[in-house]
Amino acid sequence: MEYPMIITVSHLRKYYRIHKKEPGFTGSLRSLFHRKYENVRAVNDISFTIGEKELVGFIGPNGAGKTTTLKCLSGLLYPTDGTVSVLGFTPSDRRNGYLKQIALVMGQKNQLWWDLPAVETFLLNKEIYEIPDDRYRKTLSELVELLDVEKLLNVQVRKLSLGERMKMELIAALIHAPRVLFLDEPTIGLDVVMQKKMRDFIRDYNSIHGSTILLTSHYMEDVKQLADRVIIIDHGEILYDGKLDNLVRKFARHKMLSVILETYVPPEKLAGIGELEYYEFPKALISVKRGASNVAAAQLLQKFPVADLNIEEPDIEDIIRDVFTKRKN
Amino acid sequence: MRHWRMLLLHFEHTFEYRSRNFVWFLVELVNPLLILLYWYWAIGDRSGTSLPISASVITAYYFWMIFAGAILSVHIEEDVAVLDIQEGGLSRYLLRPFPYFLLKFYEELPWRLIQGIFGLIIIAGFAVIFRIFDGITPLTWGRILLIIETCIAGYTISFLFKMIVGLSAFWVTDYQGLHQFTEVVMLAFAGFLVPLDIMPEGFRTLANILPFPYMIYYPVMAMIGRIDSQALPPVIIGQMVWLIILGVVSLRIWKAGTRLYAGVGQ
Repeated sequence: MEYPMIITVSHLRKYYRIHKKEPGFTGSLRSLFHRKYENVRAVNDISFTIGEKELVGFIGPNGAGKTTTLKCLSGLLYPTDGTVSVLGFTPSDRRNGYLKQIALVMGQKNQLWWDLPAVETFLLNKEIYEIPDDRYRKTLSELVELLDVEKLLNVQVRKLSLGERMKMELIAALIHAPRVLFLDEPTIGLDVVMQKKMRDFIRDYNSIHGSTILLTSHYMEDVKQLADRVIIIDHGEILYDGKLDNLVRKFARHKMLSVILETYVPPEKLAGIGELEYYEFPKALISVKRGASNVAAAQLLQKFPVADLNIEEPDIEDIIRDVFTKRKN
Repeated sequence: MRHWRMLLLHFEHTFEYRSRNFVWFLVELVNPLLILLYWYWAIGDRSGTSLPISASVITAYYFWMIFAGAILSVHIEEDVAVLDIQEGGLSRYLLRPFPYFLLKFYEELPWRLIQGIFGLIIIAGFAVIFRIFDGITPLTWGRILLIIETCIAGYTISFLFKMIVGLSAFWVTDYQGLHQFTEVVMLAFAGFLVPLDIMPEGFRTLANILPFPYMIYYPVMAMIGRIDSQALPPVIIGQMVWLIILGVVSLRIWKAGTRLYAGVGQ
């Protein structure tokens, strides 16, 4: 189903001017009188659109430009060039009508009052966002139930665990029921159990409220579990924008033959089929060219005592790593 | 009511830091007390010679200075410069549909009011011992209104000035240089060290074209009843002029600074 586009980014550029000092004492002396500056291209000419209710994953290595893009979309940063439109607003204008419809959650950074229970921050946000009493109560009870934090509402924030704080952070960010949610590394630092709970919550929230969600994460699992569509960014440029499934077809030039052997076969013989990625009898993993996978599988079955054979797509994480590595080289 | 509820929430936050509140008040307390002791020594040493100001007025001046320093001297600049701009805390303000200046105003006001109450307690405690109300003209409704006006305007001038000092962190690596410089200038020109009345003419003229005496000195003079009907119009006009200048300058700096903000640390 197609939804109207509510985020449009066109030729967005964000450059930072940074001071570069030469090393050593003489470098420091020189910079006292003459400072050298350099432009860093955090985001360099990116364009994309996102439809209403979409959940899009933003992937890239450190310094790729993910967070800078989210900051431009939320209105924290002024773009150097290009245009950004979200919900019909220019984010950097920071109009109240816009800010009341969006939220940006940034990892472990918090807007909660550290020495008061989280509910006091929720009350402050209620006033700031001018949320009517009944709507506030309804949204709060729904979020509290979804995140299972009823007993923690009146506990001082500093006494909460990291995972509990992250849940409270989400409530503070969602108490005004934003239409667009920007999540920057929402699971960073959390243990695997808490990561899963957080993912479940994001998925449920997206399906219940139909909010548009754009999330960045270092954990591929977050993106695999949550997003149908991914945008891969590196050095401030978009390398891929599309369905996660298509990513495999586009970038994976190989398939993996996963074999269980009945009797031992010397590795050099298996290597004749393709590139032997892993072998520990009875299990072997052989990488073969995508178009030749069926022929290679047939050869394996003919030549060797195979107990079980599967043709698998390579791991998405490996594909993405491969994309970044090739680009770097 | 919405703004009142927000202010109360910030009071709740400030109440969590009782000891910090008290210690900061002690800082405001110690300097005027030391200077007062110095004056007592000077007065005692010069018995028989004429002094530019009476002992009772000087006593009242420094005790009310304790109160004024606690309630009117805003200390928001470090939060703005370090926590918000340099460490990226500003992001959470920019993303909320509420003016940054007003939220900062609400954050600071409870600290000042609580420390001001400490100041009043000190004044009440020492009033009888040091007879600090001697030599002060009795309170009238007119004087009460004058005190309220000079205090509100003085507080707001102090707030806007400190906001500008804090916002300088958008451009400088370390705002402390400017901060320390303004603190030194304020010591002299806001009347913390010596009442401006007894300073040389040239110094007073210079002080009156700066914002500092309008923050602290004139509110204290109103409290001890030393602003007569002749001195009143220039004080009120001076405060209004500085409110407008600092208001316009701070908003322009804010607008230009947020264009440079990089959200570092976030």
